[in-house]
Amino acid sequence: MPIDFSLTDEQKELQKLARRFAREQIAPVAAEYDAREEVPWQVVEKLHEVGLLNAIIPEEYGGLGLGMLEEVIIGEELAWGCMGIYTIPMASDLGITPILLAGSHEQKQRFFKRLTEKPALAAFALSEPGNGSDAAALRTRAVRDGEHYVLNGTKTWISNGGEAEVVVVFATFAPELKHKGVLALVVEKGTPGFKANKLHGKMGQRASGTYELVFEDCRVPAANLLGAEGDGFRIAMNTLNKTRIPVAAGSVGVARRALEEATKYAKEREAFGKPIAELQAIQFKLAEMSMGVETARAYTYYAAWLTDQGLPQAHAAAIAKAYASEMAFEAANQAIQIHGGYGYMHEYPVEKLLRDVKLNQIYEGTNEIQRLIIARHILSQ
Amino acid sequence: MKFVAIIRQVPDSESRLKIDGGKVDLSGATLILDQMDEYAVEEVIRLQEKHGGESVIVALGPERFEEAVRTALAMGTDRAVHLVQEGYLDPISQAQALAEVLREEAPDVVITGGQQADWDSQALGPAVAEALGWPVVAWTTALELEDGKAKAKHDLDEGAEVVRVGLPAVFTTQQGLNEPRYPTLPGIMKAKRKELKKVPVSAASKVEVLEQTIQERTRLNKVLDGTKDPQGAASELVRLLHEEAKVI
Repeated sequence: MPIDFSLTDEQKELQKLARRFAREQIAPVAAEYDAREEVPWQVVEKLHEVGLLNAIIPEEYGGLGLGMLEEVIIGEELAWGCMGIYTIPMASDLGITPILLAGSHEQKQRFFKRLTEKPALAAFALSEPGNGSDAAALRTRAVRDGEHYVLNGTKTWISNGGEAEVVVVFATFAPELKHKGVLALVVEKGTPGFKANKLHGKMGQRASGTYELVFEDCRVPAANLLGAEGDGFRIAMNTLNKTRIPVAAGSVGVARRALEEATKYAKEREAFGKPIAELQAIQFKLAEMSMGVETARAYTYYAAWLTDQGLPQAHAAAIAKAYASEMAFEAANQAIQIHGGYGYMHEYPVEKLLRDVKLNQIYEGTNEIQRLIIARHILSQ
Repeated sequence: MKFVAIIRQVPDSESRLKIDGGKVDLSGATLILDQMDEYAVEEVIRLQEKHGGESVIVALGPERFEEAVRTALAMGTDRAVHLVQEGYLDPISQAQALAEVLREEAPDVVITGGQQADWDSQALGPAVAEALGWPVVAWTTALELEDGKAKAKHDLDEGAEVVRVGLPAVFTTQQGLNEPRYPTLPGIMKAKRKELKKVPVSAASKVEVLEQTIQERTRLNKVLDGTKDPQGAASELVRLLHEEAKVI
C-alpha cells in the first residue's frame, strides 16, 4: 500500500485541538486586533500553554519535534481563525528553522531554551528596503571584530521582529562575493545597537507585528554565527523551501473559511423568492471554491510529506505556496461577491480574508519567485 | 485519593443530525467529549493537583468512544477504563455496569456530567450513586474536600444550596463548576502512552429504542398588518400570543 491519505489518531487529535483553539480563541478576537493593528499577546500565551507555539523545536531542546505534516494540519486550522494571527507562530517557525538547519548543538540549546520555557517568538530577517526577491543583493554589513561581528544596516517587513527573543539576520561580510558573501547571525533581543520600529498601515494581517529592524554598530557574538561565513544564502533558501509549505497551509485555511462563510450566507440570503444557494451562478462559485480547497490541501500535504521523508521538496513547496495562495485569494474574492454589498463591509468576515491572504502571494518569496523556482526545476531536468 | 470522571462521547451541538430509517445517523456528525463531562474531567484533574493521588477516566460506550477517552487523557488524567458496548443501553443498565468497575476502583470521588447531550437524560450520575449506594450531589457548581468529606455547592431549581457529604460520593456537573483546560499538544502525545484498559461488556438494555425523530421548527409565516388598524392588530397579536403561542 504505497499511498495512504489517512491521518494518525495523534494527528486527528492535534487537528481537533487546533480547530477548537481557532474557533474559541482566535476567531472571536480577529476583527478587533485587525482594527487595532495590534498583536494579541494573550493568544500567543495561550498558544504556548497548549503547546502550539514553536512546536517544531525538537524534544531534546524542549519542544515537541513536530513534523511538517503536523505543522500543516495545525496551520490550516489556525489560519481559518485569522491568517494574521497565524502568521505570528508561523513566522516564529520561520525564525527557528535556520537554527534547526544550521545551528550547532550548543546554539540550539542556547536559543531554543528561550523559545520553549515561556511564550516567546523568533523572527527571520532577510528583506531590506532596497531588495526583497533579489536576496543576494542584500546590503546589511557584518564586519568581524575579534569575537564579535559588527552589524550595520536595515531590514524591513520582518514579522515578529519587535517581539522576537531571537532574530536570524542575514548580512554580507563581502558584498563583492554576492550570495557567497552572506552569513546568518542570531541577534538576541536587547542587543545594544539593535532597534525595531513597528510598521503601520498594513492592508491585512494587521494582528501580526511587522517591523523595520535597524542595526547601528550592533555587536553580535561570533558564537551566534550559524554555520560558516558564506553559508547564509544557502541557509536562507533552504529555510524558505520548508517554511513556504505552512504559508500554503494557511492559504487553505483562509479558503476554507471563505467557502464556509459563503455557504452559510448563500443558504440564508434570499433573492427572487428563494435562497441564493439555489441559484446556479452561486453554486458554481461554491463548487470552484471547494475544488480549490481540496486540491490545494492535497498538494500541500504532499509537499509536507516530501519534507518529512527528507526528499527534495523545493519545487513542491513553491507549487503549493503559489497555487494555494492564489486559490485562496480567489476564494476570498468570490466569497465577497456572494455576500454582495455586505461582503464589502467590515461587519462580515469575508473582506478581511481577502486583505489577509493577499500577503500570502507576497511573503516568503513572491509568487513570481515561486514560478522561477518551478521553472528552474523543470529546465534542470 | 482517587478521583474518577465518567465520560461519554456525543455529537457536537453544531452537528446537523439526520434520521435514517427511524434512527439517528451519526455518520456525518462531529463527535466530541460531552461538554458537561468535560467539567468532570477538569474537576478530577484539579482535585488531583490539590490533593494528590490518581485521576481515572471511566467510560461505557461503543468503540468510537476511545477518541473522547484519549481527549480526556490528553487533558491530563492518568489512565482510563473503557467498557466497550455497542448499541443503546439505558442509563440504569449503564449505571449497573459502571458500578462494578467503580466498586473495584474504589475512588473517593466520582464526577460525571449533569446531563448527557445525546439522549438528554440526567439519570446517569444519580443512577450510578444508587447502584453503589453512595450519596449524590447533582448540578454541582463548587466542590472542596476537607477532613475526608466534601463540601459542595449545587443548583436547585431556583436557587442553590451548600451541602456536606461523606465520601465516597457521586457528583454531577453544572456549568460554572470550572473552566475546562484544553488538551495540550504534549498531553496529546503522552496520552497515547497512557494506560487505556478495554473491558468488553454485553449488558442487555432495559429500554429498547423503537423510533427516533428530530424536532423540526417551522414558521407559520403569519404577518399582521398594523398599518390600517394598529389597535386591532395589537389586540390580535396579544390574542395569538396568548391563545396560540401560549407565551403570555
